[in-house]
Amino acid sequence: MKPSRSTALALVLPWLLTLAVFWLFPLVISFVMGFTDFRLLVKDYQWVGLANYRALFSDQDFIKALKNTFIFVLGTIPVTTVLSLSMALLVSRRFKGRGVFRAAYFLPSITSMVVIALIFTNLYQRGGYVVLLAKLVGLTPPENGLLYDSSTALFSIMAMDVWMSVGYYMLIFLAGLKSIPEELYEAAEIHGAGAVRRLFSITLPLLKPVALFILVINSIKSFQVFVEIFVMTKGKFDTSTAVYFVYETGLTTGFKSGYASAAAYVLFVIIALFSAMWFLLLRRRQALW
Amino acid sequence: MVRRKVFSAFNYLVLVLLLAIMVFPLVWMFRVSLMSAGGSIDIGRIFNVDFTLANYRDLFLAHNMGRYLFNSLFVGLTVTVGNILFCFMVAYALARYKYLHNKLLFMTVIVVLMIPAHILIVPLYILMVKTGLYDSYWALILPWLVNPIGIFLVKQYIESIPSSMEEAARLDGAGELRILVRIVMPLCKPALAVLAIQVFFTNWNSFLFPYILTSSDDVRTLPVGLALYQGHQAIDWQHLMAGSGVAVLPILILFILMQRQIVSGITAGAVKQ
Repeated sequence: MKPSRSTALALVLPWLLTLAVFWLFPLVISFVMGFTDFRLLVKDYQWVGLANYRALFSDQDFIKALKNTFIFVLGTIPVTTVLSLSMALLVSRRFKGRGVFRAAYFLPSITSMVVIALIFTNLYQRGGYVVLLAKLVGLTPPENGLLYDSSTALFSIMAMDVWMSVGYYMLIFLAGLKSIPEELYEAAEIHGAGAVRRLFSITLPLLKPVALFILVINSIKSFQVFVEIFVMTKGKFDTSTAVYFVYETGLTTGFKSGYASAAAYVLFVIIALFSAMWFLLLRRRQALW
Repeated sequence: MVRRKVFSAFNYLVLVLLLAIMVFPLVWMFRVSLMSAGGSIDIGRIFNVDFTLANYRDLFLAHNMGRYLFNSLFVGLTVTVGNILFCFMVAYALARYKYLHNKLLFMTVIVVLMIPAHILIVPLYILMVKTGLYDSYWALILPWLVNPIGIFLVKQYIESIPSSMEEAARLDGAGELRILVRIVMPLCKPALAVLAIQVFFTNWNSFLFPYILTSSDDVRTLPVGLALYQGHQAIDWQHLMAGSGVAVLPILILFILMQRQIVSGITAGAVKQ
Protein backbone atom coordinates (compact mmCIF):
# COMPACT_ATOMS: atom_id res chain seq x y z
CA MET A 1 0.00 0.00 0.00
CA LYS A 2 1.21 3.48 -0.77
CA PRO A 3 0.60 6.70 1.09
CA SER A 4 -2.16 8.75 -0.36
CA ARG A 5 -2.07 12.04 -2.10
CA SER A 6 -4.30 13.61 0.53
CA THR A 7 -1.88 12.69 3.31
CA ALA A 8 0.87 14.41 1.43
CA LEU A 9 -1.23 17.50 0.94
CA ALA A 10 -2.18 17.58 4.61
CA LEU A 11 1.50 17.50 5.52
CA VAL A 12 2.37 20.45 3.31
CA LEU A 13 -0.73 22.47 4.05
CA PRO A 14 0.46 24.46 7.10
CA TRP A 15 3.48 25.56 5.16
CA LEU A 16 1.52 26.52 2.04
CA LEU A 17 -0.88 28.52 4.19
CA THR A 18 1.74 30.58 6.03
CA LEU A 19 3.69 30.96 2.81
CA ALA A 20 0.68 32.31 0.96
CA VAL A 21 -0.67 34.56 3.71
CA PHE A 22 2.49 36.00 5.24
CA TRP A 23 4.97 35.95 2.37
CA LEU A 24 3.49 35.76 -1.11
CA PHE A 25 0.42 37.89 -0.46
CA PRO A 26 2.39 40.78 1.13
CA LEU A 27 4.91 40.47 -1.65
CA VAL A 28 2.26 40.97 -4.33
CA ILE A 29 0.48 43.69 -2.32
CA SER A 30 3.74 45.51 -1.93
CA PHE A 31 4.41 45.36 -5.66
CA VAL A 32 0.96 46.69 -6.49
CA MET A 33 1.23 49.38 -3.82
CA GLY A 34 4.36 50.63 -5.51
CA PHE A 35 2.18 52.00 -8.30
CA THR A 36 -0.18 53.90 -6.00
CA ASP A 37 0.07 56.89 -3.69
CA PHE A 38 -1.25 54.76 -0.82
CA ARG A 39 -0.62 56.18 2.64
CA LEU A 40 -1.02 54.20 5.78
CA LEU A 41 -3.55 56.37 7.58
CA VAL A 42 -5.39 57.66 4.52
CA LYS A 43 -8.29 55.73 3.01
CA ASP A 44 -8.25 57.01 -0.55
CA TYR A 45 -5.51 56.26 -2.95
CA GLN A 46 -4.89 56.61 -6.63
CA TRP A 47 -2.95 54.85 -9.31
CA VAL A 48 0.09 56.82 -10.17
CA GLY A 49 1.80 54.48 -12.58
CA LEU A 50 5.55 54.80 -12.49
CA ALA A 51 5.49 58.13 -10.67
CA ASN A 52 6.87 56.64 -7.44
CA TYR A 53 9.80 55.13 -9.26
CA ARG A 54 10.50 58.34 -11.12
CA ALA A 55 10.29 60.35 -7.92
CA LEU A 56 12.70 57.97 -6.17
CA PHE A 57 15.51 58.67 -8.56
CA SER A 58 15.28 62.38 -8.00
CA ASP A 59 14.85 61.99 -4.24
CA GLN A 60 18.12 63.09 -2.70
CA ASP A 61 17.46 61.11 0.49
CA PHE A 62 16.95 57.90 -1.45
CA ILE A 63 20.02 58.41 -3.61
CA LYS A 64 22.06 59.16 -0.51
CA ALA A 65 20.71 56.02 1.16
CA LEU A 66 21.51 53.91 -1.90
CA LYS A 67 24.99 55.38 -2.07
CA ASN A 68 25.61 54.59 1.60
CA THR A 69 24.31 51.06 1.08
CA PHE A 70 26.73 50.54 -1.79
CA ILE A 71 29.61 51.93 0.26
CA PHE A 72 28.63 49.54 3.01
CA VAL A 73 28.40 46.50 0.73
CA LEU A 74 31.46 47.18 -1.40
CA GLY A 75 33.49 48.20 1.64
CA THR A 76 32.69 45.32 3.95
CA ILE A 77 32.41 42.30 1.66
CA PRO A 78 36.00 42.19 0.36
CA VAL A 79 37.43 42.80 3.83
CA THR A 80 35.16 40.24 5.48
CA THR A 81 35.86 37.62 2.82
CA VAL A 82 39.65 37.99 2.87
CA LEU A 83 39.81 38.18 6.66
CA SER A 84 37.55 35.19 7.23
CA LEU A 85 39.49 33.12 4.70
CA SER A 86 42.78 34.05 6.38
CA MET A 87 41.36 33.17 9.76
CA ALA A 88 40.08 29.86 8.44
CA LEU A 89 43.53 29.02 7.07
CA LEU A 90 45.05 30.01 10.40
CA VAL A 91 42.85 27.78 12.54
CA SER A 92 42.55 24.88 10.09
CA ARG A 93 45.83 23.26 11.15
CA ARG A 94 46.21 21.17 14.22
CA PHE A 95 47.46 22.95 17.30
CA LYS A 96 46.70 23.16 20.98
CA GLY A 97 43.57 25.10 21.91
CA ARG A 98 42.31 25.24 18.35
CA GLY A 99 38.71 24.70 19.44
CA VAL A 100 38.83 27.58 21.88
CA PHE A 101 40.10 30.01 19.26
CA ARG A 102 37.50 28.92 16.74
CA ALA A 103 34.70 29.26 19.27
CA ALA A 104 35.88 32.69 20.39
CA TYR A 105 36.12 34.02 16.84
CA PHE A 106 32.67 32.71 16.12
CA LEU A 107 31.05 34.06 19.27
CA PRO A 108 30.19 37.58 18.01
CA SER A 109 28.19 36.24 15.08
CA ILE A 110 25.66 34.48 17.29
CA THR A 111 25.23 37.50 19.52
CA SER A 112 22.22 39.74 18.98
CA MET A 113 22.88 42.61 16.59
CA VAL A 114 21.13 44.99 18.96
CA VAL A 115 23.48 44.03 21.79
CA ILE A 116 26.54 44.37 19.60
CA ALA A 117 25.39 47.74 18.32
CA LEU A 118 24.87 48.92 21.90
CA ILE A 119 28.30 47.74 23.01
CA PHE A 120 29.98 49.46 20.08
CA THR A 121 28.00 52.63 20.67
CA ASN A 122 29.79 52.65 24.00
CA LEU A 123 33.19 51.80 22.55
CA TYR A 124 32.84 54.44 19.82
CA GLN A 125 31.65 57.27 22.06
CA ARG A 126 33.83 60.10 23.30
CA GLY A 127 36.27 58.56 25.76
CA GLY A 128 35.32 55.05 24.63
CA TYR A 129 37.93 52.36 24.13
CA VAL A 130 38.16 52.54 20.36
CA VAL A 131 38.50 56.31 20.42
CA LEU A 132 41.29 56.10 23.00
CA LEU A 133 42.99 53.38 21.00
CA ALA A 134 42.83 55.54 17.88
CA LYS A 135 44.44 58.42 19.78
CA LEU A 136 47.11 56.07 21.04
CA VAL A 137 48.23 55.24 17.52
CA GLY A 138 48.30 58.91 16.61
CA LEU A 139 44.96 59.39 14.90
CA THR A 140 42.66 62.28 15.71
CA PRO A 141 39.14 60.92 16.08
CA PRO A 142 36.28 63.46 15.94
CA GLU A 143 35.55 65.45 19.07
CA ASN A 144 32.07 64.00 19.68
CA GLY A 145 32.95 60.36 19.21
CA LEU A 146 33.03 58.26 16.07
CA LEU A 147 29.28 57.92 15.57
CA TYR A 148 28.48 61.62 15.77
CA ASP A 149 30.51 62.72 12.78
CA SER A 150 29.71 62.21 9.13
CA SER A 151 33.31 61.46 8.24
CA THR A 152 33.56 58.42 10.52
CA ALA A 153 30.07 57.18 11.42
CA LEU A 154 29.42 54.87 8.46
CA PHE A 155 32.95 53.46 8.45
CA SER A 156 32.77 52.75 12.16
CA ILE A 157 29.56 50.80 11.67
CA MET A 158 31.16 48.93 8.76
CA ALA A 159 34.15 48.00 10.91
CA MET A 160 31.81 46.65 13.57
CA ASP A 161 30.00 44.60 10.95
CA VAL A 162 33.22 43.05 9.74
CA TRP A 163 34.18 42.28 13.33
CA MET A 164 30.84 40.64 13.91
CA SER A 165 30.61 38.48 10.82
CA VAL A 166 34.15 37.23 10.12
CA GLY A 167 33.77 34.31 12.52
CA TYR A 168 30.65 33.11 10.76
CA TYR A 169 32.24 33.08 7.32
CA MET A 170 35.41 31.59 8.80
CA LEU A 171 33.36 28.56 9.84
CA ILE A 172 31.95 28.17 6.34
CA PHE A 173 35.42 28.44 4.81
CA LEU A 174 36.63 25.85 7.34
CA ALA A 175 33.96 23.43 6.18
CA GLY A 176 35.10 24.06 2.61
CA LEU A 177 38.73 23.47 3.53
CA LYS A 178 37.83 20.19 5.18
CA SER A 179 36.21 18.92 2.00
CA ILE A 180 39.45 19.28 0.01
CA PRO A 181 41.05 15.82 -0.22
CA GLU A 182 44.32 15.54 1.69
CA GLU A 183 45.94 13.55 -1.16
CA LEU A 184 46.03 16.61 -3.37
CA TYR A 185 48.33 18.36 -0.94
CA GLU A 186 50.49 15.28 -0.53
CA ALA A 187 50.86 14.90 -4.26
CA ALA A 188 51.71 18.56 -4.64
CA GLU A 189 54.32 18.34 -1.92
CA ILE A 190 55.93 15.35 -3.59
CA HIS A 191 56.18 17.33 -6.79
CA GLY A 192 57.90 20.10 -4.90
CA ALA A 193 55.13 22.67 -4.69
CA GLY A 194 55.72 25.20 -1.90
CA ALA A 195 53.13 26.46 0.54
CA VAL A 196 52.27 29.49 -1.57
CA ARG A 197 51.95 27.42 -4.72
CA ARG A 198 49.71 24.94 -2.92
CA LEU A 199 47.50 27.76 -1.67
CA PHE A 200 47.02 29.26 -5.12
CA SER A 201 46.80 26.04 -7.15
CA ILE A 202 44.82 23.82 -4.81
CA THR A 203 43.17 25.58 -1.91
CA LEU A 204 41.80 28.71 -3.55
CA PRO A 205 40.46 27.14 -6.77
CA LEU A 206 38.74 24.37 -4.83
CA LEU A 207 37.21 26.83 -2.41
CA LYS A 208 35.44 28.65 -5.21
CA PRO A 209 31.97 27.11 -4.66
CA VAL A 210 32.16 27.99 -0.97
CA ALA A 211 33.38 31.49 -1.79
CA LEU A 212 30.46 31.93 -4.17
CA PHE A 213 28.04 30.87 -1.44
CA ILE A 214 29.64 33.31 0.99
CA LEU A 215 29.60 36.22 -1.45
CA VAL A 216 25.95 35.70 -2.32
CA ILE A 217 24.81 35.29 1.29
CA ASN A 218 26.89 38.23 2.44
CA SER A 219 25.61 40.48 -0.36
CA ILE A 220 21.99 39.67 0.39
CA LYS A 221 22.59 40.35 4.08
CA SER A 222 24.67 43.47 3.65
CA PHE A 223 22.32 45.18 1.22
CA GLN A 224 19.69 44.92 3.93
CA VAL A 225 21.72 46.55 6.69
CA PHE A 226 19.26 48.13 9.11
CA VAL A 227 19.44 47.18 12.79
CA GLU A 228 22.87 48.67 13.43
CA ILE A 229 21.81 51.91 11.76
CA PHE A 230 18.62 52.04 13.76
CA VAL A 231 20.34 51.44 17.08
CA MET A 232 23.51 53.48 16.56
CA THR A 233 22.66 56.58 14.52
CA LYS A 234 19.01 56.53 13.42
CA GLY A 235 20.28 57.30 9.93
CA LYS A 236 21.91 60.56 10.95
CA PHE A 237 25.47 61.60 10.11
CA ASP A 238 25.33 60.17 6.59
CA THR A 239 24.49 56.65 7.63
CA SER A 240 20.99 56.18 6.24
CA THR A 241 20.73 53.02 4.15
CA ALA A 242 18.16 51.73 1.67
CA VAL A 243 16.25 49.60 4.17
CA TYR A 244 16.39 52.41 6.70
CA PHE A 245 14.88 54.64 4.03
CA VAL A 246 12.08 52.11 3.43
CA TYR A 247 11.39 51.94 7.16
CA GLU A 248 11.50 55.69 7.65
CA THR A 249 9.31 56.70 4.70
CA GLY A 250 6.94 53.75 5.01
CA LEU A 251 6.34 53.53 8.72
CA THR A 252 7.32 56.85 10.27
CA THR A 253 7.31 60.26 8.59
CA GLY A 254 4.29 60.56 6.31
CA PHE A 255 3.57 56.83 6.20
CA LYS A 256 4.09 56.82 2.45
CA SER A 257 3.53 53.10 2.01
CA GLY A 258 3.31 53.16 -1.78
CA TYR A 259 6.48 55.14 -2.13
CA ALA A 260 8.34 52.97 0.38
CA SER A 261 7.23 49.80 -1.41
CA ALA A 262 8.62 51.11 -4.67
CA ALA A 263 11.93 51.79 -2.90
CA ALA A 264 11.93 48.26 -1.48
CA TYR A 265 11.49 46.81 -4.97
CA VAL A 266 14.32 48.89 -6.36
CA LEU A 267 16.57 47.39 -3.70
CA PHE A 268 15.21 43.92 -4.47
CA VAL A 269 16.21 44.28 -8.11
CA ILE A 270 19.66 45.50 -7.10
CA ILE A 271 20.15 42.51 -4.80
CA ALA A 272 19.01 40.08 -7.50
CA LEU A 273 21.36 41.63 -10.06
CA PHE A 274 24.24 41.57 -7.61
CA SER A 275 23.69 37.88 -6.78
CA ALA A 276 23.47 37.03 -10.46
CA MET A 277 26.72 38.92 -11.02
CA TRP A 278 28.59 36.78 -8.49
CA PHE A 279 27.29 33.65 -10.19
CA LEU A 280 28.38 34.78 -13.63
CA LEU A 281 31.74 36.06 -12.43
CA LEU A 282 32.75 32.96 -10.52
CA ARG A 283 31.29 30.46 -12.97
CA ARG A 284 33.02 32.06 -15.93
CA ARG A 285 36.37 32.09 -14.18
CA GLN A 286 36.05 28.45 -13.33
CA ALA A 287 35.51 27.55 -16.96
CA LEU A 288 38.59 29.52 -17.98
CA TRP A 289 40.86 27.80 -15.50
CA MET B 1 63.17 23.02 13.56
CA VAL B 2 64.04 26.41 15.01
CA ARG B 3 62.36 28.08 12.08
CA ARG B 4 59.24 26.08 12.68
CA LYS B 5 59.22 27.09 16.36
CA VAL B 6 59.61 30.78 15.55
CA PHE B 7 56.83 30.41 13.02
CA SER B 8 54.46 28.79 15.46
CA ALA B 9 55.24 31.39 18.11
CA PHE B 10 54.31 34.07 15.62
CA ASN B 11 51.14 32.16 14.78
CA TYR B 12 50.12 32.01 18.40
CA LEU B 13 50.75 35.71 18.75
CA VAL B 14 48.37 36.44 15.88
CA LEU B 15 45.83 33.98 17.25
CA VAL B 16 45.88 35.51 20.72
CA LEU B 17 45.72 39.06 19.40
CA LEU B 18 42.68 38.14 17.32
CA LEU B 19 41.15 36.42 20.32
CA ALA B 20 41.50 39.62 22.34
CA ILE B 21 39.89 41.70 19.61
CA MET B 22 37.00 39.28 19.18
CA VAL B 23 36.25 38.76 22.84
CA PHE B 24 36.99 42.14 24.38
CA PRO B 25 33.70 43.89 23.52
CA LEU B 26 31.70 41.12 25.17
CA VAL B 27 33.95 41.10 28.22
CA TRP B 28 33.58 44.88 28.42
CA MET B 29 29.80 44.51 28.28
CA PHE B 30 29.76 42.15 31.26
CA ARG B 31 32.25 44.31 33.14
CA VAL B 32 30.14 47.46 32.73
CA SER B 33 26.99 45.54 33.67
CA LEU B 34 28.61 44.72 37.02
CA MET B 35 29.72 48.29 37.86
CA SER B 36 27.75 50.24 40.40
CA ALA B 37 25.33 52.63 38.72
CA GLY B 38 26.09 56.30 38.12
CA GLY B 39 29.23 58.12 37.11
CA SER B 40 30.87 58.09 33.73
CA ILE B 41 32.26 54.87 32.36
CA ASP B 42 35.92 55.60 31.98
CA ILE B 43 38.64 53.14 31.28
CA GLY B 44 40.05 53.22 34.80
CA ARG B 45 36.90 51.70 36.21
CA ILE B 46 37.54 48.38 34.50
CA PHE B 47 40.24 47.70 37.09
CA ASN B 48 38.40 49.02 40.15
CA VAL B 49 37.18 46.43 42.60
CA ASP B 50 33.59 47.40 41.98
CA PHE B 51 31.31 44.47 41.35
CA THR B 52 27.59 44.46 41.96
CA LEU B 53 24.56 42.61 40.70
CA ALA B 54 22.34 45.58 41.52
CA ASN B 55 21.90 46.55 37.85
CA TYR B 56 20.47 43.15 37.04
CA ARG B 57 18.18 43.33 40.04
CA ASP B 58 16.95 46.82 39.04
CA LEU B 59 16.13 45.60 35.56
CA PHE B 60 13.81 42.93 36.82
CA LEU B 61 12.26 44.96 39.64
CA ALA B 62 12.01 48.49 38.30
CA HIS B 63 12.06 47.90 34.56
CA ASN B 64 10.24 45.53 32.30
CA MET B 65 13.09 43.11 31.79
CA GLY B 66 11.21 40.15 33.27
CA ARG B 67 8.40 40.64 30.81
CA TYR B 68 10.76 41.05 27.84
CA LEU B 69 12.61 37.92 28.86
CA PHE B 70 9.38 35.96 29.14
CA ASN B 71 8.18 37.23 25.76
CA SER B 72 11.46 36.33 24.09
CA LEU B 73 11.41 32.86 25.60
CA PHE B 74 7.75 32.27 24.78
CA VAL B 75 7.98 33.45 21.18
CA GLY B 76 11.34 31.76 20.64
CA LEU B 77 10.24 28.40 21.98
CA THR B 78 6.89 28.44 20.18
CA VAL B 79 8.51 29.26 16.86
CA THR B 80 11.13 26.57 17.47
CA VAL B 81 8.60 23.85 18.27
CA GLY B 82 6.49 24.93 15.31
CA ASN B 83 9.46 24.70 13.00
CA ILE B 84 10.44 21.24 14.24
CA LEU B 85 6.93 20.01 13.60
CA PHE B 86 6.05 21.76 10.35
CA CYS B 87 9.44 21.62 8.67
CA PHE B 88 9.54 17.92 9.42
CA MET B 89 6.10 17.38 7.91
CA VAL B 90 6.90 19.29 4.74
CA ALA B 91 10.35 17.76 4.43
CA TYR B 92 8.91 14.27 4.78
CA ALA B 93 6.30 14.92 2.13
CA LEU B 94 8.87 16.35 -0.25
CA ALA B 95 11.33 13.55 0.33
CA ARG B 96 8.95 10.59 0.15
CA TYR B 97 5.85 11.39 -1.83
CA LYS B 98 6.45 11.65 -5.50
CA TYR B 99 2.90 12.66 -6.38
CA LEU B 100 3.48 16.20 -5.31
CA HIS B 101 5.04 18.37 -7.85
CA ASN B 102 8.26 18.05 -6.04
CA LYS B 103 10.27 20.32 -8.30
CA LEU B 104 7.69 23.07 -8.15
CA LEU B 105 7.63 23.06 -4.37
CA PHE B 106 11.37 22.97 -4.23
CA MET B 107 11.53 26.00 -6.51
CA THR B 108 9.18 27.79 -4.14
CA VAL B 109 11.59 27.11 -1.30
CA ILE B 110 14.43 28.62 -3.27
CA VAL B 111 12.38 31.64 -4.30
CA VAL B 112 11.37 32.33 -0.70
CA LEU B 113 15.00 32.06 0.28
CA MET B 114 15.89 34.68 -2.28
CA ILE B 115 13.22 37.19 -1.23
CA PRO B 116 14.83 39.83 0.97
CA ALA B 117 12.80 40.38 4.11
CA HIS B 118 12.88 44.16 3.75
CA ILE B 119 10.18 44.02 1.07
CA LEU B 120 7.80 42.76 3.72
CA ILE B 121 8.31 45.63 6.17
CA VAL B 122 5.42 47.77 4.95
CA PRO B 123 2.94 45.13 3.67
CA LEU B 124 3.35 42.84 6.67
CA TYR B 125 2.76 45.77 8.99
CA ILE B 126 -0.42 46.65 7.11
CA LEU B 127 -1.56 43.03 7.03
CA MET B 128 -1.11 42.66 10.77
CA VAL B 129 -2.95 45.90 11.49
CA LYS B 130 -5.85 44.97 9.19
CA THR B 131 -6.20 41.48 10.64
CA GLY B 132 -5.98 42.70 14.20
CA LEU B 133 -2.91 40.59 14.87
CA TYR B 134 -0.71 43.67 15.30
CA ASP B 135 0.89 43.92 18.74
CA SER B 136 0.07 40.32 19.68
CA TYR B 137 2.15 37.17 20.00
CA TRP B 138 0.52 35.91 16.81
CA ALA B 139 2.26 38.60 14.79
CA LEU B 140 5.62 37.46 16.13
CA ILE B 141 4.94 33.75 15.67
CA LEU B 142 2.76 32.95 12.65
CA PRO B 143 4.92 34.26 9.78
CA TRP B 144 7.98 32.41 11.10
CA LEU B 145 6.48 29.03 11.87
CA VAL B 146 7.89 27.26 8.81
CA ASN B 147 11.39 28.21 7.75
CA PRO B 148 12.28 27.16 4.19
CA ILE B 149 15.91 26.63 5.16
CA GLY B 150 14.65 24.19 7.78
CA ILE B 151 12.64 22.29 5.20
CA PHE B 152 15.71 22.07 3.05
CA LEU B 153 17.88 20.82 5.90
CA VAL B 154 15.49 18.11 7.10
CA LYS B 155 14.57 17.00 3.58
CA GLN B 156 18.20 16.30 2.77
CA TYR B 157 18.49 14.32 5.98
CA ILE B 158 15.38 12.23 5.35
CA GLU B 159 16.58 11.41 1.85
CA SER B 160 19.71 9.90 3.36
CA ILE B 161 17.61 7.48 5.45
CA PRO B 162 16.54 4.29 3.62
CA SER B 163 12.78 4.03 3.34
CA SER B 164 12.73 0.25 3.98
CA MET B 165 11.71 0.65 7.62
CA GLU B 166 8.73 2.77 6.72
CA GLU B 167 7.67 0.30 4.06
CA ALA B 168 7.94 -2.62 6.47
CA ALA B 169 5.77 -0.76 8.97
CA ARG B 170 3.30 0.06 6.23
CA LEU B 171 3.05 -3.62 5.30
CA ASP B 172 2.37 -4.39 8.95
CA GLY B 173 -0.58 -2.05 8.72
CA ALA B 174 0.75 0.97 10.58
CA GLY B 175 -0.98 4.23 9.76
CA GLU B 176 0.83 7.16 8.17
CA LEU B 177 0.75 9.27 11.31
CA ARG B 178 2.19 6.45 13.36
CA ILE B 179 5.00 5.88 10.87
CA LEU B 180 5.79 9.56 10.86
CA VAL B 181 5.88 10.06 14.61
CA ARG B 182 7.20 6.69 15.78
CA ILE B 183 9.68 5.79 13.07
CA VAL B 184 10.86 8.67 10.93
CA MET B 185 10.90 11.48 13.46
CA PRO B 186 13.16 9.72 15.98
CA LEU B 187 15.58 8.93 13.16
CA CYS B 188 15.70 12.62 12.25
CA LYS B 189 16.69 13.80 15.72
CA PRO B 190 20.15 15.05 14.74
CA ALA B 191 18.79 17.18 11.90
CA LEU B 192 15.91 18.44 14.02
CA ALA B 193 18.32 19.44 16.79
CA VAL B 194 20.35 21.47 14.30
CA LEU B 195 17.17 23.06 13.00
CA ALA B 196 15.89 23.84 16.50
CA ILE B 197 19.02 25.58 17.64
CA GLN B 198 19.27 27.64 14.50
CA VAL B 199 15.65 28.74 14.57
CA PHE B 200 15.84 29.59 18.25
CA PHE B 201 18.99 31.68 17.84
CA THR B 202 17.65 33.59 14.86
CA ASN B 203 14.39 34.27 16.63
CA TRP B 204 16.01 35.22 19.92
CA ASN B 205 18.21 37.79 18.22
CA SER B 206 15.74 39.16 15.70
CA PHE B 207 14.85 42.81 15.93
CA LEU B 208 13.35 44.29 12.78
CA PHE B 209 9.98 42.54 12.67
CA PRO B 210 9.38 42.24 16.42
CA TYR B 211 10.00 45.99 16.55
CA ILE B 212 7.74 46.88 13.64
CA LEU B 213 4.89 44.57 14.60
CA THR B 214 4.54 45.49 18.27
CA SER B 215 3.84 48.63 20.23
CA SER B 216 3.37 47.57 23.84
CA ASP B 217 5.68 46.16 26.48
CA ASP B 218 3.32 43.23 26.94
CA VAL B 219 4.56 41.52 23.78
CA ARG B 220 7.91 43.19 23.07
CA THR B 221 10.92 40.93 23.04
CA LEU B 222 14.32 41.53 24.65
CA PRO B 223 16.15 43.06 21.67
CA VAL B 224 13.27 45.49 21.08
CA GLY B 225 13.11 46.43 24.74
CA LEU B 226 16.87 47.00 24.80
CA ALA B 227 16.99 49.10 21.66
CA LEU B 228 14.18 51.32 22.92
CA TYR B 229 15.52 51.55 26.48
CA GLN B 230 18.56 53.29 25.09
CA GLY B 231 16.42 56.20 23.94
CA HIS B 232 14.78 56.82 27.28
CA GLN B 233 17.30 59.08 28.94
CA ALA B 234 20.94 60.03 28.82
CA ILE B 235 22.44 56.63 28.22
CA ASP B 236 22.52 54.62 31.41
CA TRP B 237 25.27 52.22 30.43
CA GLN B 238 25.32 50.02 33.50
CA HIS B 239 21.69 49.03 33.14
CA LEU B 240 21.83 48.87 29.38
CA MET B 241 24.79 46.49 29.49
CA ALA B 242 23.11 44.41 32.20
CA GLY B 243 20.11 44.07 29.89
CA SER B 244 22.46 43.09 27.09
CA GLY B 245 23.96 40.53 29.43
CA VAL B 246 20.53 39.02 29.99
CA ALA B 247 20.09 38.79 26.23
CA VAL B 248 23.50 37.19 25.67
CA LEU B 249 23.71 34.71 28.55
CA PRO B 250 21.19 32.13 27.28
CA ILE B 251 22.86 32.17 23.87
CA LEU B 252 26.26 31.77 25.47
CA ILE B 253 25.14 28.78 27.53
CA LEU B 254 23.43 27.11 24.56
CA PHE B 255 26.52 27.76 22.47
CA ILE B 256 28.77 26.02 24.98
CA LEU B 257 26.39 23.07 25.28
CA MET B 258 25.51 22.64 21.61
CA GLN B 259 28.48 23.91 19.67
CA ARG B 260 28.51 20.91 17.36
CA GLN B 261 24.88 21.33 16.28
CA ILE B 262 25.34 25.05 15.76
CA VAL B 263 28.37 24.62 13.58
CA SER B 264 26.85 21.86 11.48
CA GLY B 265 23.71 23.93 10.97
CA ILE B 266 25.73 26.78 9.59
CA THR B 267 27.94 24.75 7.32
CA ALA B 268 25.23 22.36 6.05
CA GLY B 269 24.01 24.72 3.37
CA ALA B 270 27.43 25.79 2.19
CA VAL B 271 29.14 22.51 1.47
CA LYS B 272 26.22 20.54 0.07
CA GLN B 273 25.21 22.76 -2.77
